[in-house]
Amino acid sequence: MPKTGFLYDERYLLHITSSYHPEVPDRLKAIYKGIKDAGLLPNLKLIQACKADMRWIEMMHQKYYIQRFKQMCDAGVAQMDTPDCQMCAETFEIALLAVGGILDVGRMVMEGEIDNAFCAVRPPGHHAEHDRAMGFCYFANVAILAKYLQTEWGIEKVGIIDFDVHHGNGTQNMFNDDPSVFYYSVHEHPSFAFPGTGRELEKGVGAGQGTTRNFPVLPGQGDKEYLKIMQEDWGPAFEKFNPDIIIVSTGFDAHEDDDMSGINLTTQGFSQIMKLIVQMADSLTDGKLISILEGGYALKRLPELAKNHVEILMKKD
Amino acid sequence: MFVGNSMVKKVVTANRDTSIVEVREKLALHKIRHLPVVSKDNRLVGMVTDRDIRSAMPSELAEGCELDEKALSHLKIKDFMTSDVVTISTMDTIQDALLQFQQKKVGALPVIDEKGILQGIISVRDLLQSFINVLGIGEPGVLLGIVVEEKVGQLKKIVDAITEENVSLGSILVSRYWEEDKRAVFPYLLTNNPARIKKKLERLGYSLINPMDWCLDHNAP
Repeated sequence: MPKTGFLYDERYLLHITSSYHPEVPDRLKAIYKGIKDAGLLPNLKLIQACKADMRWIEMMHQKYYIQRFKQMCDAGVAQMDTPDCQMCAETFEIALLAVGGILDVGRMVMEGEIDNAFCAVRPPGHHAEHDRAMGFCYFANVAILAKYLQTEWGIEKVGIIDFDVHHGNGTQNMFNDDPSVFYYSVHEHPSFAFPGTGRELEKGVGAGQGTTRNFPVLPGQGDKEYLKIMQEDWGPAFEKFNPDIIIVSTGFDAHEDDDMSGINLTTQGFSQIMKLIVQMADSLTDGKLISILEGGYALKRLPELAKNHVEILMKKD
Repeated sequence: MFVGNSMVKKVVTANRDTSIVEVREKLALHKIRHLPVVSKDNRLVGMVTDRDIRSAMPSELAEGCELDEKALSHLKIKDFMTSDVVTISTMDTIQDALLQFQQKKVGALPVIDEKGILQGIISVRDLLQSFINVLGIGEPGVLLGIVVEEKVGQLKKIVDAITEENVSLGSILVSRYWEEDKRAVFPYLLTNNPARIKKKLERLGYSLINPMDWCLDHNAP
């Protein structure tokens, strides 16, 4: 059985949006509850957050943007760049803790302390751009981890699979011309869903042409279409790229009970997708896989989805 | 909305005596398909398209083979250009241009002033950029489709409901709907959080259209 890490910290609950915002602390509480109530905690390596060293964040974000983010939080400004990105005085510090926790998980995987992990962090990251906040995201958690693994640990090729229902524009843009990071995203078609990017024709630029791949899915297509894409397109694409580690942008918002989208994945569908990803990690990366939470807003469904997700990482079934 | 603002102003042109071989080279070099023909004082006298070239040349030459080009160099533009050109003026609107493209079945329109002097050229491709802007593509957001009854004040209620949620609009399209006395409204919301707005609109009695039935132009689903 692989050693699975679980990054969770109550301080992640201190990033407050507003009562009517979907990206709320209750999401993490629901995820934690699901994992705890299933009795999984004793068999997980529990990881607490720590603050990220600013140099890693500066590798992916403009310095002025980072300063601006900090100053706005210090001044108590309640939103940044767009009304979607609501925050509180603590948000900057919590975002630093999210990145820091994730990088620590990266270190533990590289040192062999754990094989894989689920990082239940807030705020999410895949919409955050180099110089602006977007879609509930401030720091590009996944992109920063990829860069950290390459820079600090000499990882050559990073494979990112993003199955959040929204396209991860930020992650894509950060590695658009970089052939050493494969960004693969399956998401609701951009004509029907935020952020309006992630069309098939976006395939990377320059040296990075071919190491960005987008698979937009039409509304209502459900498990069958997602699984077909994962098996027939994502699998061969990742085998060909042959990454040294797999990072997963895990969004639970394609679920049929999540009102943020219209894709209609079932709970079983999520499990099947995650099993394929874990199998891929076994065959390509010696099991090295780090899953990082992005979206997912159906509070009633999150406990079970998170529990299943972690059980698959632990290979409990 | 005027053609003068959307047209290409630096136009590649030819004159009546330009040879067909030269025209072919100009089209390839500038990656264009339409070449206005002008007199010495830049007055529009005709138009040549890549299709005209293909029709006028043996197929081998049109594809760029080195087949006795000298023998064809006597063939001048004036021999195969269209003299009766569909044109548009700088002060016509892009709606005028759209209708011209549709009705005259041309891909580009030379833009002339009242004296017939060439001022620019506008192609279907140039208008695409305008419509990408109008549709709000390129700004992060999400589209909704709503059925409304065709009566005054519907749009205001929708816009009010969106505004009350502190969400900005990237664009709003209104189109024909397949049921009589109804319209389809497509607001493009600059947010990742449309769920509350959807619920609010439904509470107000509006029906959201299934995204798989969204359509900007047809008579029946």
